[in-house]
Amino acid sequence: MKNLNTEILVIGGGSTGTGVAWDAALRGFQVTLVEKRDLTHGTTGRYHGLLHSGGRYVVKDPRSAVECIHENQILRHTHTQCIEETSGFFVVTPEDEGDFPDKFKAACAACRVPCTEISAQEALRHEPLLNPRISRVFEVPDASADSFLATHLTAQAARQAGAQILVYHEVLDLITEGTEQDRRVLGAKVRDVATGEEFNIYANMTISAAGAWAGQVARMAGCTVNIIPGKGVMVAMNHRVVNTVINRCKMPSDGDIIVPIHTVAVIGTTDERVSDPEKLRIEPWEVQLMLDEGDKLLPGLSKARVLRAWAGVRPLYQEGFKGESRDATRALTLLDHQSRDGIAGFLTITGGKWTTFRLMAETVVDKACEQLGTRKPCATETTPVPGIEQGHYWLGHRLHEVEENRLQGELICECELVTRGMLEQATQRNPTITLDDLRRDIRLGMGPCQGGFCTMRAAGILHENVTLGMQNMKASPDAELVNRKSQIVNPEWDVAYMQSPAHNATADEVAPSAQHSALSTPNLLLRDFLQERWKGLTPVLWGQQLKQARLDELIYLSILNSDHLPDADTISPLTDFYHFDGGTSREAESDHA
Amino acid sequence: MLDLLVIGAGLAGLSAAVAAAKAGLNVRVIAKGQGVTHWHAGTLDVLGYLPLTDAPIQAPLAASQTLPPEHPYRLLGETRLRDALAMFSDWLAASKLAYPSSATPDQNLWLPSAVGAVRPTFLAPQAQLAGDVSRPEPMLIVGFHGLRDFYPQWIVENLTKQGYLARAAFLPLNMINELLERNNVQLAEQLEPPSARGRLAAALKKLCQPGERIGLPAILGVNEHLAVWQDLQTEVDAPIFEIPTLPPSVPGIRLYRALQQQLMAAGGRIEMNMEALAFKAEGQQIQWVETATSARPLKHYAKNFLLATGGVLGGGFNSDHTGRFWETIFDLPLTVPQDRNAWFRHQFLHPQGQPVFSGGVLVNDHFQPVEQNGTPVYNNLWAVGGVLAHADPIRERSLEGIAIATGISATQGMIAQTHAGV
Ligand SMILES: Cc1cc2nc3c(=O)[nH]c(=O)nc-3n(C[C@H](O)[C@H](O)[C@H](O)COP(=O)(O)OP(=O)(O)OC[C@H]3O[C@@H](n4cnc5c(N)ncnc54)[C@H](O)[C@@H]3O)c2cc1C
Repeated sequence: MKNLNTEILVIGGGSTGTGVAWDAALRGFQVTLVEKRDLTHGTTGRYHGLLHSGGRYVVKDPRSAVECIHENQILRHTHTQCIEETSGFFVVTPEDEGDFPDKFKAACAACRVPCTEISAQEALRHEPLLNPRISRVFEVPDASADSFLATHLTAQAARQAGAQILVYHEVLDLITEGTEQDRRVLGAKVRDVATGEEFNIYANMTISAAGAWAGQVARMAGCTVNIIPGKGVMVAMNHRVVNTVINRCKMPSDGDIIVPIHTVAVIGTTDERVSDPEKLRIEPWEVQLMLDEGDKLLPGLSKARVLRAWAGVRPLYQEGFKGESRDATRALTLLDHQSRDGIAGFLTITGGKWTTFRLMAETVVDKACEQLGTRKPCATETTPVPGIEQGHYWLGHRLHEVEENRLQGELICECELVTRGMLEQATQRNPTITLDDLRRDIRLGMGPCQGGFCTMRAAGILHENVTLGMQNMKASPDAELVNRKSQIVNPEWDVAYMQSPAHNATADEVAPSAQHSALSTPNLLLRDFLQERWKGLTPVLWGQQLKQARLDELIYLSILNSDHLPDADTISPLTDFYHFDGGTSREAESDHA
Repeated sequence: MLDLLVIGAGLAGLSAAVAAAKAGLNVRVIAKGQGVTHWHAGTLDVLGYLPLTDAPIQAPLAASQTLPPEHPYRLLGETRLRDALAMFSDWLAASKLAYPSSATPDQNLWLPSAVGAVRPTFLAPQAQLAGDVSRPEPMLIVGFHGLRDFYPQWIVENLTKQGYLARAAFLPLNMINELLERNNVQLAEQLEPPSARGRLAAALKKLCQPGERIGLPAILGVNEHLAVWQDLQTEVDAPIFEIPTLPPSVPGIRLYRALQQQLMAAGGRIEMNMEALAFKAEGQQIQWVETATSARPLKHYAKNFLLATGGVLGGGFNSDHTGRFWETIFDLPLTVPQDRNAWFRHQFLHPQGQPVFSGGVLVNDHFQPVEQNGTPVYNNLWAVGGVLAHADPIRERSLEGIAIATGISATQGMIAQTHAGV
């Protein structure tokens, strides 16, 4: 067993956990982060895409609103390229009149959320598809944000400050010593999901940033944290029907926000208490509700082509709270288990929003400093992550780079403009166990065809590179040399430019390594990814998108016969997860019957 | 006045139209766009796997009669199926696009796919035939560096796992072209000039060892295909076979063009970009179908109408988020449940397929759409191919077989029934 020692152990590779690792590493701590799947496997990779101005919470949850606007202003400087400056409207539809709009305006002022009332005509000039019967519009500094990229960049910034980020490492248990009343967490027992290897990580301080799983982790320490898991459903439209974030000006409810993000627009969301954060099944009525509500903001929305639906689970927490999850606070919560439960060396940071992850990190690391008896100031507020020189995200940036560099022939995903070089670099630099990891990294398979063409191409390219790499290895027995070469060929490469076609125009030579074992099973990569896409498609398959699914069948059944490939029984750590509800494929089938 | 208006220019519509035109009928094909022929593998699959058990099928004609009684193949019977396929391959041979069957009569061919699975088909273009895995020669699978739809090592690895002898090799893509785009059709056209063929032949000859056969992506010419393929074989002195790739499909386009040629030669016409939007019936008799092209409505009057719009993939069916699922032109009765909860299984590659895709138009054994009680909806309407109920052609690998045989057979029945044009 290769046990590790560190000062701070962070559990969870979502926005919060990577934020904590970044913050603690910048303060000079030795940090190790463990995430049981890929970065953003949890709620962070399933959120709505909104950098909140705080407007949504000014009336109902002012504490959360104040946190949001504070962070909104900071993240624009620290995570610039993850944010598109869309601005946001709060619109009053005929259903939303009454005194809420005036309360909203006053509450924005009280929470210091900049808010300007503009005329309905002006709003319609910007967003012609908006319901023409809206009566009032307030503009606030909402923005759209890419949480996949942001989390990668935060993790990269943490790495550059010395943190170790271990993905596909699951915490099985916490190591504790002492008695019921006087206990200390010494670290965690961890399993490498890819190899099955188990080992211990000892730390002076263990910080749980496990989101909706924080209750499970706390139980390992012997205390109770009642997370209120609130499931939310989102529906992505095939077109970017709006360029501004559109909110209904009313008390937060279902289906009242539309966020433009990359090439699509996403409508959401719902809030329903669920028993388990991995139960993410979407029912037809939930999709229907989103479309019906969407029609009130953008009449006719429900007739437009829908791409995909997904669900995420909010890690809401309120000490002693018993009501509906919609009513639980969105403000962040720090649980100091020493004073709360008599457990030293263990902190939980939960609640909050994606928007407030930096603040959550600062809060918990401040507490860690206090308990470890050191004073190290937080530096994240003024330290940008790598790559902000690219400026804010804008819609045409990939196409522009593809055209400027004449990379058309390199495209393997025409929907999202992913080039072969981007795919190769992302795989080379990030552990990849499934093609879904690459979806999060470079948006592979996120467009209209939902993996129809690129699944086969990606599996083929990865396999080709591994095979060629192994042949190179055989030719040159000096494995060290091959490895070193792969690190120096393109010294400029950086996670910060992962999504840029131009910066990945030439691929490095590929060196095979242990992490690539998954890549040499293209049949499994293909099966897993097709199934992963199917899971998000079935709730929204009708009309054009149903036709697309049938074309995908033509390709994968009729032309490729990929349902009759060898190794049909091999599975990855994610195979079961892609079969609905995290159950096994067999269970899922029988509950369907 | 037209004897027959065919709606849909996929294999089903074209088969029907050629059969009608050759029988002397005045026939027109209208279509919104080209059918699935531009996407599929270019082979003629008749039946590859049994729908319930997923058991592989060796003798598809015989096996077709073990399917459930409502299946289109049971409505046809083995003789009509066999005769239609024979007639169809005669037409293709007349257009110099031979589609031989397996050397063992009535048996499926098993050909390597672009991921190295072995796919069952009944009739394959001549240029795919040498891929038959029952042949003894070891395979040399040759790819081109940077071609995004063809990965020889993956193919070889899977073939090897299944016990077939194969090895992989690469050639530079720029020996074919310098284009920015790497579309299969463009590549195929680039291989047509004799100089390009010569370069490829020389390179292949260097790679190939005596006794090997060579597998290449299906890009060996479009209009000049036969010459390209024959020249390569002669110069390399080895059997050469194509492996179909992702859409757009070069073998599919060749097939389409051959049929189009047969239709024109027999006096038929195809009109594209014509989406049927409305129709008029008097009693049980359809009078006309209306299309809108170039911003003016156009009424197509005909004695008979044949619906070959190809199911979900061809656009013959549409559906919405409320679970409504309908046939787009005549709103014919369908077997598909009007409930989205019942459309899918949780597994994409489930051996029994997605229930929504085996629903469709109910017909009698003349292929006339019928009501639940079996009476024809209209006296002069026929439905063929992908719109038919009780089959999932993609899952069963019966796509082309059903299209061709129902297309031809329905037309013959219609001619017999109406004595039109005879
Ligand atoms: C439907 C919905 C929409 C939302 N929209 C927005 C929005 O538009 N804007 C916004 O600001 N916020 C939004 N939020 C809130 C925001 O997404 C979350 O607050 C935030 O992403 C939580 O991040 P996290 O890192 O705390 O949790 P997570 O992202 O869930 O991370 C926790 C991680 O811990 C890992 N983990 C769990 N157990 C273990 C273990 N035993 N070992 C190792 N790792 C483990 C999980 O795999 C997971 O990756 C939304 C939330 C939902 C549900």
